[in-house]
This record gives sequence, C-alpha cells and structure tokens, in this order.
Amino acid sequence: MAGFVDALGRFLRPQNLAAVFVDGLAKAAIYVMIAGGLTLIFGLMGVLNFAHGSMTMIGAYLGGLIMIALVGGGVGFGANLLFFFVALAATFALLAGLGGVVEVGLIRRLYDRPPVYQILLTFGLTLILDELVRIAVLFYGMQPSSDWQSALGTKPSALAASVDLGIVSVSGLSLFEIAFGTATVAGLWAFLTRTRYGMIIRAGSEDAEMTEALGIDVRRVFTVVFALGAGVAGAAGTLLMWDPAWGASVPLAADTLLPAFVVVIIGGLGTFRGTVVAAVIVGMTDATMTWWFVNEIDFAGLPEMTIFLILVVMLVLRPQGLFGVEEVGGH
Amino acid sequence: MVTLLPDVETMIAVLYFGLFAMSFDFISGYTGYLSFGHAAFYGAGAYFVVLASNGKIPFVATSTSFVVLLVLAGLVAVVLALLIGAVSFRLSGVYFAMITLGFSQVLYVFVRGWDYAASNPRDGPAVLERTDPFSVGVPGVDSLNLAIGQLAGDSVEGFLGFLNFGTTEVSYYMIGLVVLVCYFAMQRIIHSPFGRVLVAIRENEERAEAVGYDTFWYKLGAFAVSAFFAAVAGGLFAGFQRSVSPESTFYFLVTGDALLASIIGGFGTLAGPLYGWLFDESVTEFLSKTGEGGGLLPYLREHLGEATMTTELWNGLTVGRAIDTFLNGHAELYIGVVFVLFVLFVPNGLLGTVRDRLGGPVGKQVAARLRGDGK
Repeated sequence: MAGFVDALGRFLRPQNLAAVFVDGLAKAAIYVMIAGGLTLIFGLMGVLNFAHGSMTMIGAYLGGLIMIALVGGGVGFGANLLFFFVALAATFALLAGLGGVVEVGLIRRLYDRPPVYQILLTFGLTLILDELVRIAVLFYGMQPSSDWQSALGTKPSALAASVDLGIVSVSGLSLFEIAFGTATVAGLWAFLTRTRYGMIIRAGSEDAEMTEALGIDVRRVFTVVFALGAGVAGAAGTLLMWDPAWGASVPLAADTLLPAFVVVIIGGLGTFRGTVVAAVIVGMTDATMTWWFVNEIDFAGLPEMTIFLILVVMLVLRPQGLFGVEEVGGH
Repeated sequence: MVTLLPDVETMIAVLYFGLFAMSFDFISGYTGYLSFGHAAFYGAGAYFVVLASNGKIPFVATSTSFVVLLVLAGLVAVVLALLIGAVSFRLSGVYFAMITLGFSQVLYVFVRGWDYAASNPRDGPAVLERTDPFSVGVPGVDSLNLAIGQLAGDSVEGFLGFLNFGTTEVSYYMIGLVVLVCYFAMQRIIHSPFGRVLVAIRENEERAEAVGYDTFWYKLGAFAVSAFFAAVAGGLFAGFQRSVSPESTFYFLVTGDALLASIIGGFGTLAGPLYGWLFDESVTEFLSKTGEGGGLLPYLREHLGEATMTTELWNGLTVGRAIDTFLNGHAELYIGVVFVLFVLFVPNGLLGTVRDRLGGPVGKQVAARLRGDGK
C-alpha cells in the first residue's frame, strides 16, 4: 500500500501530470479521428461499419505511398508539410470514393433487413479489403523494405524533435496530432451545424422518413455520409502512418477498429458530441495507464485492458452512452 | 491429382472448430443475440485444459482424465457465462454484441499479459508437465480409452479384424465422437420446450414476454449452455494441439470465424456451422501454399507448361507470378467474397437453403421420400 501511495505521489507531480495530459490529448485526437466517421455513419444510417478499421488501414498505406511519390528526396519542413496535406486530401478523396461505391453497391441492398446483416456484410468486407491489401503489400514487396522506410522518413524532422512547453517538453508529433484532431473536429462540427447539407444530415438522423417526406433524397444523403465517414477514416490513417506507436500495417485495421468502437459506444452511438468527449476520456485514460505501466505496474496489457473495462462499465451503467438516446437509428 | 476434400488433419480442425461454431450458432442463431465475444468461452476451455495439465489449476491434478477436464472446462465457462450474461442481457441488438466483445477483449488482453499462464504469455502456454497423451473415452477404464494428439495419439490395428487406423485417424474419430455427443445434446435442447422459447425470443421477444416467459432467464440459460459447449470445443482444440495462444483462442477474430461458418452454413441451423466451417477449411486447404491435400496450386504448377507460366499478362506480371500472388495462401480473400455473397443473396446459408427447398430438416425429408409418403 505504501508503495502505491509513493507511486501516486510521483504520478501527481506537476510535470508528470502535464506530460500525461498532453499525451492524453494527442491520443484523444487520434481516437476522435478514427471514431468520428464511424459515429457519423451510425448516427444517420444505423449501420455499424465493421470495415471502418480497414478504411483507416488503407488510408495509412495510401498516404504513405503518395508521400513517397511526392517527396522523393529530402525537402524542407514547409514543403514536406504541404505535401502532407496534398497526400491527405488525395487519401480523403480516394477513400471517400471507395466508401461511396461500397454504400451504393453493397450496403444499400440491406436497409430493409435486420441490422445484424449490416454488421455481417461489413465484417465480410474487412476480410476482403484486408486480404487485398496484404496481397498488394506482398506483391510489390513494400514491407519490409527500404522503400517503405522512406515513407516514415517523410515525417518532417521538426515533428520528431521535442518542443519545450515550460514545465514539460513534448514531441512535436503530439502537438501536430492535437492540432490535426482539433481541426478535424472543428471542420466536421462546422459542416454538420453550419451548412445546409449538414442540416439535412442531422435531419436525416433525427427522422429519416420525415426528411424524405420533405422532398430530400435520403438515400443520396446516406451515400454522402458513408463516403464522408470513409474519407475521415482514411485521413486518420494518413496521420497514423507517421506515428511510431501505430504505423501502416495490415493488423492496423483491427487495432484501430476496436478502440473506435469503444469510443463511439462510450459517447453514445451516433452522437458526434459524445464521440468527442469519449475520445478525450479514452485518450486520457490511455495516457494515464501508459504512465503507470511504464513506471509502476509491470503488466503490458494495462492501458488496453482499462479501456475495455471502461466500455463494459459504461454499458452496465448507461447502455445508451454518455450523450446517446435510447433508440438510435431504429435500434 | 486434385483432391477437393481436405485431408484428415484438416478434418480434425473442422470438427473441433465446427463444434465451437455450432455453440455460437446455438445462442446467436436461435435467440438472435449476436454473441460477438464468444471466443472468451472457447479460450477459457482451451486455457483450462492446458493449465490443468501443467498443474496450475488448484485442486485439479495433472493426471485428471481428459473427459473430466472437458466437463470441468465447460463448467468454468458456464460460471463465466453467467457472470457476463447477467450484465450483458440487459442490453440487446448492437449493444449486446458490443458488450460481449468488450468482455472477451478484456480477457484477451489479460491473458496476453498474464505470466502465470505461460512464461511468455504473448505466445501462450503449452502442455509441459503432462507427458501422456490426452485420451477420449470412459475415465478409468483403459481399454475404453483412445489417445488423441498430432503425434502422440494411439493407433489401432486390426479393429474388427481388418480395419487399421493411424494416430491422426484415431484422433479424428475420437474427437468426432465428442463433437457428435455435444451436437446431439444441443440438438436435444433446441427441440425441447426450452429451445422453442429461444426461437420465440428470436422471432418476437416482446410477445414471448407477454405470453408469460421470463425471457431473461431463458437467454441466460441458453448463453450458459452455449458457453459450456464452446469450452468443450476449446478443450478439444487444446487437447489435440497441446499448445494454445491468445490469438488462436480469445481474440475477437476467432468469434469472427465462427460467425463466418454460421453464415455460410446457415444461421439458426445447428448443424449448418459445421458444414460452413468445412467449406471454409476446404477453400483454405485448396488454396494453401503446400496444398497437402493436393490443392489447386501444386496442380496448376504441375500441369501448366513452362511457356504458359512465363507468359506475360500485364506489365511484367507472368501467369506463374499471378498464380502465386492471388492463390498462394490467400483463401481469406475468397472466403470473404463468398461470405459477402451469402449475406447478400443466400441469407439462410447452405443448410438453411437446402431445408427451404426440401421443406423441412434434411433427415426427415429424405426419410419421408424414401418411405414414399413425401409430397
């Protein structure tokens, strides 16, 4: 017990807390990126997209490939960052296209069936997408090869270095991730609340039938939202490609899918605000537990296990999530 | 020669994993509650058998007979299922799938870091203490026991005077015996009044409640029964392989495989998942690298001439390379495609569709037609 009190004392030191806080924010930014699209899709369409993780994983590979193609040799920080945004936009567009095709070609056929079938279909889709990527990676010999290492090398050196913030020094990448995640949240928020199309999407998730009656083609809105969700997943992948804790790999699909589920469920399936809050909760928990694992408790699964425990506790106490309503998307 | 059916070693995997898929279908196909964390019970059974054989379970001797171990593993899973189910059955639909997934991932992450289970918990434990093979049969009667195992099992010579079985064949029949007994037990339960209530819950839970059934206890009971058989399946897997890993037992994709088997074989048909998994394993075997059962790859390599193999298809991609790229060990891709096609076009699965065509369970219909009192 005394050992625990001592450890708690070490944990509560200001510089520790600050470091954990920044780390938590960076993790929250990643979580909100990988879960944001999932919650949009569920909120409007009631489809729990099991293929979301695969979209993120494909985004990571595509982003990396585009960066390799663009950057080639070493260039400066500004140009590198510019190329990153080009790669990001391209990945977003490609994944959004894929998402649109999937919705029109496959998911559209299942709306009049029980929701379980949508889970089943998207689960099958992950098998196909993951295997296709695995085939491509093997065929082109991308990993492990020095070519692919250069994708990691496209990360501007400023992001790898640490930045001094008074009481703590944090890695530039963490700050970049926080900025990136905030920008995504702000962008989606503005899109949903400040644009006409966002209004239609919100109306569609409140009451699809009524929206239809007002003369809006909800089917097309579904396609747009599915494409948007897939695009955001792809953008998240591009970000993860640079992060040494994640990186592009085929198992990234499952590794991102499960935390994304946890985040959307804690927040309340289908509520965007809940997803943002839940991402912060999960990110902070992850950062805190990572600190305890690194410094005090010798159990490698600690952060991951705590996150799933939060999920279970949340579902027991409040099944609809933090901001969820009992009936979402007809479930 | 191309063999379409998998060899006997693959068939053993079909049997024990088929049993797991059946137990998954028992709860998910019959009550409609998608138990996405069912791997927890499979894993619990597998780990129980290995840990008990290493003397790491208190009060369970290392030399306990395998059949007793299987039953004990099943009971452990029942306790686990009652704990998980008591919480989870307050939810339904997507939320139920997610909370069971959450529980199984907690266990998966825990087992992956638990150094009591194995010195390297990420790779999982192996049977180290117990040297004698696991045997299936009547406990305590040596002449009614036959050992299973990849290399360690028994072989039988001169059964009924002329039948000879190697070690894998004995394992195949003995594991098959356990699976068959489990199948009949589940079949019996499904066709009992208890099982009828489960189907009523699947069709319309509110109405089942209105009729006066306390559906919570029925669901919990079905969950526990299903967990029991999932653990037996896990125990058979551990007993045959003598080593387990977190990835092959507790991971959520293991449940995914059971789901695959159930959909292809027929959701809500107890025997369907076994056929579904047989299909899956056959495709995997047919496209495997070595093609031990005489799969497609060796056949193509043997029969396509050198000229064909080096023909360029597109941009430097030769036929040989294309075969390697798209066929070599990528069964998952084709199984995924088949799975999606089944979800879209054959929602009742293989067995369900056959039943629909015949107008009832296959056995009954065939018997009726043989007797001549069919339609």
